[in-house]
Amino acid sequence: MSGPLHTPLCDKLGIEYPIVAFTHCKDVAVAVINSGGFAVLGEALHTPDHIAADIKWIRERIGGKPFGIDLVLPSSVPEEKSVEELIAMIPDEHRAFEQKIKEKYQVPDPKIRPDIHVWGGLDQKRALNQLEVIFDERVPVFASGLGSPAFLLKRAHELGMQVWGLVGKPRQAKKQLTAGTDVIIAQGFDAAGHTGNIGTFSIVPQVVDAARGTGVPIIAAGGVTTGRHLAAALALGADGVWTGSLWLASRESDVNLPLKERLIEAETDDTVYSDCISGYTMRTTRSPWHNEWASPEAPEVLKPPLQMILSSNYIQGSLDYQRKDLMTEAAGQGIHYVTEMKPARQILSDIVEEALDVFDRFASA
Amino acid sequence: MSSTALPAPDDEAGEPPFRSGFEPRLRGARAECDGGAPVAGTHLAGRQDFAGRLTGNYRDFGPYPWRWYLMAELTKKPNGYSLEAVWCDSGNLTLLDEDKLSIPLVP
Repeated sequence: MSGPLHTPLCDKLGIEYPIVAFTHCKDVAVAVINSGGFAVLGEALHTPDHIAADIKWIRERIGGKPFGIDLVLPSSVPEEKSVEELIAMIPDEHRAFEQKIKEKYQVPDPKIRPDIHVWGGLDQKRALNQLEVIFDERVPVFASGLGSPAFLLKRAHELGMQVWGLVGKPRQAKKQLTAGTDVIIAQGFDAAGHTGNIGTFSIVPQVVDAARGTGVPIIAAGGVTTGRHLAAALALGADGVWTGSLWLASRESDVNLPLKERLIEAETDDTVYSDCISGYTMRTTRSPWHNEWASPEAPEVLKPPLQMILSSNYIQGSLDYQRKDLMTEAAGQGIHYVTEMKPARQILSDIVEEALDVFDRFASA
Repeated sequence: MSSTALPAPDDEAGEPPFRSGFEPRLRGARAECDGGAPVAGTHLAGRQDFAGRLTGNYRDFGPYPWRWYLMAELTKKPNGYSLEAVWCDSGNLTLLDEDKLSIPLVP
């Protein structure tokens, strides 16, 4: 097959369209794969047994097509303490501020204790245990959503797996290219969650330039929600796009209904790049929690994982009682174009058609 | 010069799941760390940037090995980061001193 949307990434994966869905929902992943795209399932939160079960579930539904699993490998670790020690480290001033927010917005107590209160953190050992499942299952594509995957390349390649790395700076891309990473995802500031501070239009061509002559496909990430974004990414030299927010409100998505409604209502400036949720900077949708921590009387944000321990009751309470007015979720600036609850297949075909229209328009000009 | 990595401890006996070592050539080396980590209890993650000097101490995790260096004398760290040191994955470290650039960060 040829055409403006057929790129080396399509050949490398045996897919029809160079569109990668990053999702935490198995149903979305399967729908995208079976519609001609590619999907990477985010499994950072899950146990090795859970990951193995998800892999089996997907394999049973995609007829031998390739798929990917994403883990978030840590790249810096400050300390090792028990959950009890960590909770005791939260200053009274911060506890009082949390209580003030809770009373002001009538935030309900969570029905279940947030995971972080019984878990505490994800360290190298946990990541290694998750990786063993990825290797045991010989997952076609392993994507590292944060840390460098350089250390595991040799073993992955011996097993016939591809390794993808997500980068937020050109120097990270250069290091991963030198190490032998198979595909680089260049993620711009527009993206959801843990993004760097370089915009998508700036980082993508720099990473493309760094990879020139290597044969390594580059995927553009950050704010991609339309066919025009796909066409623009290809014009910048990318071989495909990485999309996340696009699928959150899809019909197959397991995001709860009030949160889907909140995402559909959200505008670009309803996403906030802030450290008030976890102590790490990340892009999420604005909520009363964000507004209060941006106020002059707010104390200084705590370091991870203390800030997440502090915010976890608020987040869990909003989800347990479906309080749309309180909810927050990782979402990119492209959320403006998520305007209705469509099936994943239709989302994909809409993007493809719009991108082809762009290329037709330029070809006929 | 070779490292001084210790034998793998027995994790089941409650020992830490890494092998400790020291690379004297990296002691005092200026470096930057493109850090970050998963956010426990969520599917989110976050980035954190650090700069400082490596102590030369390292930890090797797993069979690969996955090597981590200790960075101290921090000249750049996130707001609210009250500690004076951080462990950084070797794949996300960038050495800044010209005379140290040829020292391999991974075995």
